[in-house]
Amino acid sequence: MEKVKLKLLYSDLKPELDMIEKELEQAVDSESLLLNDASLHLLQAGGKRIRPVFVLLAGKFGNYNIDVMKQVAVPLELIHMASLVHDDVIDDSETRRGKPTVKAEWNNSVAMYTGDFILARALEYISEIDSPKLHHILSKTMIEVCRGEIIQIEDKYKLDQNLRDYLRRIKRKTALLISSSCELGALVSGTDEKTAAHLRRFGYFIGMSFQIIDDILDFTSTDEELGKPAGSDFIQGNITLPILCARKNPEVYSLLKNNLGKELTEPERLHIVKTVRDSTAIDEAKAISERYLQKALEELAYLPKGNANKTMRKIAFFIGKRKF
Amino acid sequence: MNEQLIHSKITSMEIDVLRAVKQRTLEKFTEGPSVERARLFFLLLPYFDGKHWSGEIEASAKTVSIVYAALHAHDQVKENASATKKQQLTVLAGDFYSGIYYQMLANLNNITMIQRLATAIIKVSEKKASFHDGLDRTTAELDRSVQQIETELLATFYNFYGFDHYTPLATLMLSYIRYKDELECLQGGSETRIIRSLNETLQHPLHTERWLLEKLDNLHDQISLTINSYNFNYDLKNFMLHQITPHQHRAEQLTREG
Repeated sequence: MEKVKLKLLYSDLKPELDMIEKELEQAVDSESLLLNDASLHLLQAGGKRIRPVFVLLAGKFGNYNIDVMKQVAVPLELIHMASLVHDDVIDDSETRRGKPTVKAEWNNSVAMYTGDFILARALEYISEIDSPKLHHILSKTMIEVCRGEIIQIEDKYKLDQNLRDYLRRIKRKTALLISSSCELGALVSGTDEKTAAHLRRFGYFIGMSFQIIDDILDFTSTDEELGKPAGSDFIQGNITLPILCARKNPEVYSLLKNNLGKELTEPERLHIVKTVRDSTAIDEAKAISERYLQKALEELAYLPKGNANKTMRKIAFFIGKRKF
Repeated sequence: MNEQLIHSKITSMEIDVLRAVKQRTLEKFTEGPSVERARLFFLLLPYFDGKHWSGEIEASAKTVSIVYAALHAHDQVKENASATKKQQLTVLAGDFYSGIYYQMLANLNNITMIQRLATAIIKVSEKKASFHDGLDRTTAELDRSVQQIETELLATFYNFYGFDHYTPLATLMLSYIRYKDELECLQGGSETRIIRSLNETLQHPLHTERWLLEKLDNLHDQISLTINSYNFNYDLKNFMLHQITPHQHRAEQLTREG
């Protein structure tokens, strides 16, 4: 339902997004039936397509030409998809958006080849654009996203890490690709540099807020809403903002410390989720997300008024208040 | 160019490649990037053979080597194993190396090469997936897949810089190396995807072993013939035959085994 609501916010873009959806399907077409099936399996699981949306919206601040915009929007979504299929191997995930993951439906090797195939398709597609600056930005982003994931694995089970570690991690893991979506949309539509910089920062702030909310929802949503057990981040040893806030209470700290990395029983998991949910941690984490959201809105204030600005504002508010 | 200079150039390239993909955590917890010297040799072959060689060509050659390392890292991910730290970081190693090669080519403003390599990776991924799709294949089809997996990236590099005439020889020699590794795995009691597919087609590990031995003999004969059709100098030819694909003929092997 929430996904539908989010899509309503950018319903003006529906014809373009439908076109991008078709392009995505064509992009994963392969002479290997197996790769074709696995890629379509992933594609048809759906998604918010938030990266293409930001590319298109950013493009509205320049000379918007859908044929050019989709050359960036499609590969950015493909890069995101490739990372998801590999992430499911990393996290050993059985389901994604309520459907079996590629690794669960086939095996880890097929997931690796599917990810490599989709990523190569993305690069094949985007290299139609002969813009060194675009490729510098995107390649740097891809490396930083990987670094973020490597650090996330390094920082697992480290309850005593600080807020800066967490923020740096989510910047790389999530915010950079959204930020780049906005920046590249601005670049290919030929906006001036100032506008592109505001859009890049908007994407960064909204990406930070988005990830913090995602981490909050891991504790506040039900298993059904999440399509996986609530508290999965904690179970996997990922120290997210709600945990960092909750650990300030010595009793909660002990509870978390004693259970981190342990094989949890169902009652133990539910107890931890409830403890974090009932603490002040959720409100504190929301306040930090809200600060990023405000910064994102400040960036929008520098941009020309119009439909794109209005839609970005609505998306920002939605992200700040989303329930799952 | 004598043997020592060839070794030294390969080592220098190997060091450059390892430096380009260096990452502390990956180094600590994974096997590290696989940079095979035989592949480096073939990437450098035009240079050894005295062809026009520029800094740009050498930088591109390094990126091809990094792509091989990226794909090789993902080959190391166990088919059905759960997510150990090593496995998780091996997945990320492959993705990280992919980012590095893309960035290196972007820095060279070689956008066309980015596209050509991407197309090659698609073909290689498709061929690798063909070993998992459960379809029956003849040994000739499996052989074509192996050839493409081994040489598609190199052939793309050769084609881009006008070195296509090395492709047939590289295809023979890299296939030889791959089948030699497969034979060693089989004889050592381990099973790879290629061995499994050959076993399925040939219906018995002994038949697979025989097929591999004959294949190696055949490839070696073809290599010997093909190599003479090139105008390589003595040292280079010698290096290829004795350092890259040293061969023990099946008959010799059988005699030795008694």
